[in-house]
Amino acid sequence: MRSAPRNIRFCLHLRYNSTVSYWRDVIDVKNASVNAIVHTAGLHPGTGHGPLKDLAIAVKDNICTASMPTTCSSAMLKDFTSPFNATVVDLLQDAGAQIIGKTNCDEFGMGSLNTHSVYGPVVNPYSTPSDSAPWVERERRSAGGSSGGSAAAVAEGMCDAALATDTGGSTRLPASYCGVVGLKPSYGLISRWGVVSFADSLDCVGIMANDVATTKRVFNVASTYDPKDPTAATLETRHKSQLTPMPLVEKNLQGLRIGIPQEYFPAELDRSIIRSFRLIVSALKDNGASIIPVSLPSTSYALSAYYVIASAEVSSNLARYDGIQYGLRVDTPHGADKTKTSNIYAHTRSQGFGREVQKRILLGTYALTADAFDNYFLQAQRVRKLVREDFDHVFRAPNVLMNHSSNFTSSSQTSNSNIDVLLHPSAIRTAPLLPLSSPDSSSILSSSSGLDAYFQDVLTVPASLAGLPALSVPVCSGVDGWPVGVSVVGQWGCDDLVLRVGEIVEQL
Amino acid sequence: MLARAVNPCLLPRNFHRIRPFPAERTYHEDPRWPGWEVVVGLEVHAQLKTRQKLFSESLTSELGHVANTHVSPYDAAFPGTLPHLNSKCVDLALRTALALDSKVQPRSAFDRKHYFYSDLPTGYQITQHYAPIASDGALHLSRGDVVVRIKQIQLEQDTAKSTFDPRHHLSQIDLNRAGTGLVEIVSESDMRSPEEAGDYVRTLQAVLRSVGASDGNMEQGSLRCDANVSVNKPGGPFGTRCEIKNLNSVKFMMVAITCEVLRHIKLLETGQVVSQETRGFDELKSQTFKLRSKEDAPDYRYMPDPNLPPLLVNQAIITLAINSMPELPGAMRSRLCSQGLSKRDTEVLMSVDSGREVGFDGEPGSGGAVAYFESLSKGRDPKIVVNWMTHELLGQLGARKETFTQNPVSVEQMGELIDMVQDGSITGTSGKTLLHHMITHRSREMPSKLAADLSLAALSKNSLSDSLKKLCEEAIAALPEEAGVVRKGNERVIMKLVGKVMKDSRGRADAKAATDLLKELLLPKQ
Repeated sequence: MRSAPRNIRFCLHLRYNSTVSYWRDVIDVKNASVNAIVHTAGLHPGTGHGPLKDLAIAVKDNICTASMPTTCSSAMLKDFTSPFNATVVDLLQDAGAQIIGKTNCDEFGMGSLNTHSVYGPVVNPYSTPSDSAPWVERERRSAGGSSGGSAAAVAEGMCDAALATDTGGSTRLPASYCGVVGLKPSYGLISRWGVVSFADSLDCVGIMANDVATTKRVFNVASTYDPKDPTAATLETRHKSQLTPMPLVEKNLQGLRIGIPQEYFPAELDRSIIRSFRLIVSALKDNGASIIPVSLPSTSYALSAYYVIASAEVSSNLARYDGIQYGLRVDTPHGADKTKTSNIYAHTRSQGFGREVQKRILLGTYALTADAFDNYFLQAQRVRKLVREDFDHVFRAPNVLMNHSSNFTSSSQTSNSNIDVLLHPSAIRTAPLLPLSSPDSSSILSSSSGLDAYFQDVLTVPASLAGLPALSVPVCSGVDGWPVGVSVVGQWGCDDLVLRVGEIVEQL
Repeated sequence: MLARAVNPCLLPRNFHRIRPFPAERTYHEDPRWPGWEVVVGLEVHAQLKTRQKLFSESLTSELGHVANTHVSPYDAAFPGTLPHLNSKCVDLALRTALALDSKVQPRSAFDRKHYFYSDLPTGYQITQHYAPIASDGALHLSRGDVVVRIKQIQLEQDTAKSTFDPRHHLSQIDLNRAGTGLVEIVSESDMRSPEEAGDYVRTLQAVLRSVGASDGNMEQGSLRCDANVSVNKPGGPFGTRCEIKNLNSVKFMMVAITCEVLRHIKLLETGQVVSQETRGFDELKSQTFKLRSKEDAPDYRYMPDPNLPPLLVNQAIITLAINSMPELPGAMRSRLCSQGLSKRDTEVLMSVDSGREVGFDGEPGSGGAVAYFESLSKGRDPKIVVNWMTHELLGQLGARKETFTQNPVSVEQMGELIDMVQDGSITGTSGKTLLHHMITHRSREMPSKLAADLSLAALSKNSLSDSLKKLCEEAIAALPEEAGVVRKGNERVIMKLVGKVMKDSRGRADAKAATDLLKELLLPKQ
């Protein structure tokens, strides 16, 4: 069913004796129009052995690498190079993968269109089947955000796979817009040591590739317990989640129960998306899967709760960028008020952070003030709990993060659905057009109300709040010829099942 | 995370006793401020004596260490770093809680306290605002049978240190201290005078040192305190309180509280009001000054730390903490007194190198002066032993500006030395000489061998009477005039001859034996 042909692959001359220099040349040729890669790796030969020795992997620029800068697409860290590698980068390198460069993203991961970047926007490299026009004349669409560079790099063949991050949809949304596979694993499976914090309680390392099989290979290496991450799922919890009996998903899908959450079809959802989604659902049904409509009643509050929690954590996590220890330093102008430390920091922070980041810091700061804390932060935490409970009610597998007694209640007594995975559209539309004006200025999407851009995340945020594995798989094109993604969501720790179902969807 | 939580009712009950409410304390008029009652509460921050910091693997530091040498990327708030709770800090906080008779919470949590200051690289301090590790404790003061209730005990990070160089208009930041573990111990407002506040801090210091939780050294900054002060008419409601920040010695704290009390009374007696403020203390002018009013109080925007899971402490962990606890000062004091030691000797022994008895991370240390005393007094008279220790051993070490930890004299050496003096095989003076020799030469030889090598065996009438007699005869010959005076019956002058004998014998002669022998030689037989 996946009809959209890949871009015509860059014609390769097999005279390269080094894979690194090969990928450097690919990036040289392709990146200028896409703007996906912001730093290219030096000519370091990889280990040449290990399960990922044939893979070239790009890394989102908010994941620390000791050999390349880690800027988070922010002026604040424009010249910053971390003294250490993120654990996930070490794991991939140790498995033989070639890290070929760092990818563009929204500043510190904040954005849904990859327009809030000091490097400028990422241009979606997808070309519709009918489009034979040269690059410069094509319509410039967003690659999605915040991991737009990772998605575009994979889509354009500048790497085999890419590391992304996903706080509220930052892996799944760009994957959907660019027509690639994007996995947000269960929270806590991939170490966050070395991943620059946006909102710690939501941040996950995501994986992107052209197919589910490659995504899975990278995930299997990356999903390793790391004692340096205090939120890492322990070996015991990982083991427990493997004990849950899973349906055997073969060609015949008999016994696989797929839930369709009714709240995931808001008025804003584009009609053509619904059409594509229906085709997938009926194909799954034809193969023997049970399709069950389910309700996740707290979904409508999830987006607001997400923005309160994420912004609150942003205001806290980004307090460290003050121009003292590292990063940008803007000296106080002559005669400036130096009576308070914050007055001195203000110059650096006002220049170093872009508009979107500043906006969220202000929102989060407000949400944490003594007066607003109960009504905003605590209320959002309550909603988060309800969203989590919604999911626990519909899944057949118990949530191993909860204690035993409540598992029993949720999965066996109050649950009337007993579903294995949820299926829903990844985004409310295909990739939107990029604003014509300069990056990070008021775009079509953010100028009207400022909330439209946030609404892009409405379908991806609930799984983030609940810490669940979610996989966006490209299925077919919308009426405009641009890619449409479908998301498979599972219970915590059921990443393998989610990937398996994703593979089925991919092959339909 | 330490372990799974347990039912709170399984917590030790014996850690709770009924505590008097402050209202139950009878009012005693203070001649310094007749007609007024003083109310003081203290917040004490004590640096935990662990090798590593609270959330990073970098080593803790001392005052003299080169700036910014004990720093990891986490301590400097580098992007991508995450906290990792040091379980040793939890152990020491538990010891503190148990030593202060507090209720350990089976589930506590970490929160972020936000403010912008150059000594705080992350822009927030990780503390335990909403759910502290322990609460409802008590500390019995050393005087007046006063019990001060402990409201709560929380684990938190220390800040970096910033110093301002006015010559170059530069702030310098030293991250060595950043992220060191602290316990904040918050008392109820149960103290009624500056002296009680001083007693509280001193008693608390002794407790923290004895369990190895902290060195508790105010001069070196490992213990710092803030004082809440208010005054009211006896029987009336509490007055408005002011907080005095960063008091760096017990003495200055007491002066600061006294100044603040007098300031409040002056305001109230002239019909003015005390406004709720945070104040500093100027040690040179001996007065407090306003830092900020209640209206300017910062909003710290407390937020549960999203990286740190809740801290769960079950009964097994508490039992382990109880079993590994060193003896508390109160128990130690009464045990020593029961061996017949005077209060003064007990205090001297207990104050020697205080805080060094327990090693880093709560590990058993060398045992300190008390343990030394106890091994030494096995089979010996404790009073004689304590005299040798406090007067001679500590005295000679002190004269060399050495601490007890540097003492080279083993319990075996010291024991034999005391025994030799006791049985008369050497004189007291020789014993002191021998001790001096052992300390200066770091000698590992036993005193009996050293005494022989140095010819310090006592010259008594019985053992080596010939040589004593020879020395006496030489003295008489050397001092004929004095000898003549003695012969004429002025016995007091004999001391000059005894002195000569003692000097010539290099202290080996027994003074009494020499006096008797000289009398025998000079005075007619009776």
